[in-house]
Amino acid sequence: MKRLSLIWVAGLFALAAGSRDARAAEKRLNVVATLTTFADLAKTVGGDQVSVSAVAAPQFNPHFIEPKPSDVLRVKRADLFIHAGLDLELWRGPLLDAAGNTSVMSGQPGELDLSRGITLLEVPDHPVSRAEGDIHIYGNPHYWTDPENAKIMAKTIADKFSAVDPAHAQDYQQRLQQFTARLDQKMTEWRSELAPFRGQELVGYHNEWPYLMRFAGLRMDKFLEPKPGIPPTPKQVEFIERYVTEHKIRGIAQATYYPQRAAHAIGQHTGAKIVLLCQSVGEVPEALDYMAMVDYNVRQLLGALRTEAAP
Amino acid sequence: MTPHRLTMTMIGCVLGSQVAWADPMTEEVSALRHDVQQLTTTVQQLTTTVQAQQQRIAQLEQSGAKPSQMASNAPTVAARQPAAASFSSAFNPEIGVVADILGQRSSSSQEGDGNDKLSVREIELVFGHPIDPYSRFDSTITFSDFENPGVEEAYITHWGLPGEIKAKLGRMRPKIGKASAVHGDVLDTVDEPLVVSEYLGKEGLFRTGLELTGFIPAPWTAVTHELTVGTMEGGVGEGGHLFGETRRRPSFYTHLKNFWDISSTTNAELGATYLVGSKDADARYEVNAVGLDATLVHFVTPANKLKWQSEAYLQDRKESFSIANDGTRTNFNKNPWGVYSLVDYRLSPRVGIGGRFDYVQPVDLTPVTKARNADTAWSGYLTLYQSEFSRWRLQFRHTDFAAGGDDNTIMAQGTVAIGVHKHQLQ
Repeated sequence: MKRLSLIWVAGLFALAAGSRDARAAEKRLNVVATLTTFADLAKTVGGDQVSVSAVAAPQFNPHFIEPKPSDVLRVKRADLFIHAGLDLELWRGPLLDAAGNTSVMSGQPGELDLSRGITLLEVPDHPVSRAEGDIHIYGNPHYWTDPENAKIMAKTIADKFSAVDPAHAQDYQQRLQQFTARLDQKMTEWRSELAPFRGQELVGYHNEWPYLMRFAGLRMDKFLEPKPGIPPTPKQVEFIERYVTEHKIRGIAQATYYPQRAAHAIGQHTGAKIVLLCQSVGEVPEALDYMAMVDYNVRQLLGALRTEAAP
Repeated sequence: MTPHRLTMTMIGCVLGSQVAWADPMTEEVSALRHDVQQLTTTVQQLTTTVQAQQQRIAQLEQSGAKPSQMASNAPTVAARQPAAASFSSAFNPEIGVVADILGQRSSSSQEGDGNDKLSVREIELVFGHPIDPYSRFDSTITFSDFENPGVEEAYITHWGLPGEIKAKLGRMRPKIGKASAVHGDVLDTVDEPLVVSEYLGKEGLFRTGLELTGFIPAPWTAVTHELTVGTMEGGVGEGGHLFGETRRRPSFYTHLKNFWDISSTTNAELGATYLVGSKDADARYEVNAVGLDATLVHFVTPANKLKWQSEAYLQDRKESFSIANDGTRTNFNKNPWGVYSLVDYRLSPRVGIGGRFDYVQPVDLTPVTKARNADTAWSGYLTLYQSEFSRWRLQFRHTDFAAGGDDNTIMAQGTVAIGVHKHQLQ
């Protein structure tokens, strides 16, 4: 019996040592991103040297995520936490508090705010209040929809990876260059396709596309939401319908997670097409990665812009 | 074709092509105008950036700090200026106010809180801020039409303890079950479930104590296990009957949460709670209770959320009666239990509906003759979400009491929040 116990103990030690060695050999940078888009960029830059996961499932509005215990556990064990910064993810604070991982909290080495280095649009130039709706006090936070900003974000990620894991810095920088080169090439194609429609106007559901509009050379000043975060009211729907008709607007852009009833009603009455755009990688099956997501968005925009203007 | 017709055709072609050119030119002008507007905006933003950087340089020069010392936290774009404009305010606590206003019409003749009147049930003044890199302080001060101002919560959360454990110390809502652990404005219904209000307190349980929470290591990732253990001062919330009123003898509790990520749109949680406490100030622990909670959440679409939540408690009380100083004898149910089951469905971003069933056996068996074994209630409600920060709810509840009689209550609730209002993750 005693001998059996000794064998058991020895076996357990061997198992523990073996798994520790295996873990050390496979040690990869454990990265948790708030959004799938950031996770995809991190995976592109990090390759096999990083293990990446995202908190928010792509089919949900990134403003209103309910982090789960499994998300808390992943953040608790993360080496690096990548987020949008600003006031996009209001659930980020409670998530970090619940995880209690002091190395990824604000200002710590394991935190990466991707808004750093981005020139933001729609920065309020006056004291704001909730009377203006769910307004963003730092400026519009949906900056990743512009591929020009993706280059900045990818560089920010590569620099951070290089700082945290200098042994693989060359790999990270090399992948960054490859990504940037591919993106530059695609941007030339996208711009060329969109060029004939420069200056045209679309309406939106929520004000989350100013960066994409800037890249595409389009305008979007009117929204189904009467104020940010306030669901469409009958009065606002009526106003937008009239506006679409008067300005011969060809498309109503919205993310897939918003109800489409109001846009459909306007579309039926005016002939404007619903343009379902992606905020996140994986939001639709076609948006497999960042490049595919932007490509999908450009195709959607072109699909509406190439239709006949509303009568 | 005659020369005249040829000439006319050519003129027609030229005019036609000019008409055809008119649209692109107008679009081009429009596009250029738009570009100029964008450039103007960009220049304005860059101007703000330069001003902000000049301000920072001035501050750095004044403080004598090297730029590299500030780099990690430095705001890098003009956009941060609204928040960063006042550096001193960055250290102010996050402050929020939550108001819960209730109108209630009841067929009961009892003078219960809020019956047949409109009242401010609760105003919560919420403060919170990190203390240092390892801890955070949160507090909730409540004002109400029905009671004096009081401290509902005031606790320190401490991270980074050995074993990835998180500690909470102070007055708080202990992690017991589901409904009692959350603030009233997070509840799906106007009122607490009956089993919570009759056993733990009409607003749930909040006591002063120490609570430790940690994840249990597991080789699988599909299920997450979180264990909480805690001790708190004796007693329960207002109107609760689980423990006695004395605060001298501490109570102990533990909660195990098991969470399944079934898919990206569906998750399930199964929890178990154990509590032990005293009904009086002596050294014995006469009351044990176990609780089970189950929650299933499914997003039919990103905007349509279905939630089913149930919670049950069973007590084991080592007392069958007590005799008061005046000789009054009170008989107790040794193993009372209660349960609720709630279904909530978010029909759209603006509207939600739901219903709840309650069953709870009373602890106190006086009078000896009961009309039925337990209080039972059926509730239905309609919620209107005006915005992320305000909500209106109409609820009807029919209750049959164990002691006999019934009650129909209509409740209309308005809940609004201003300032910074964060809830802990559950």
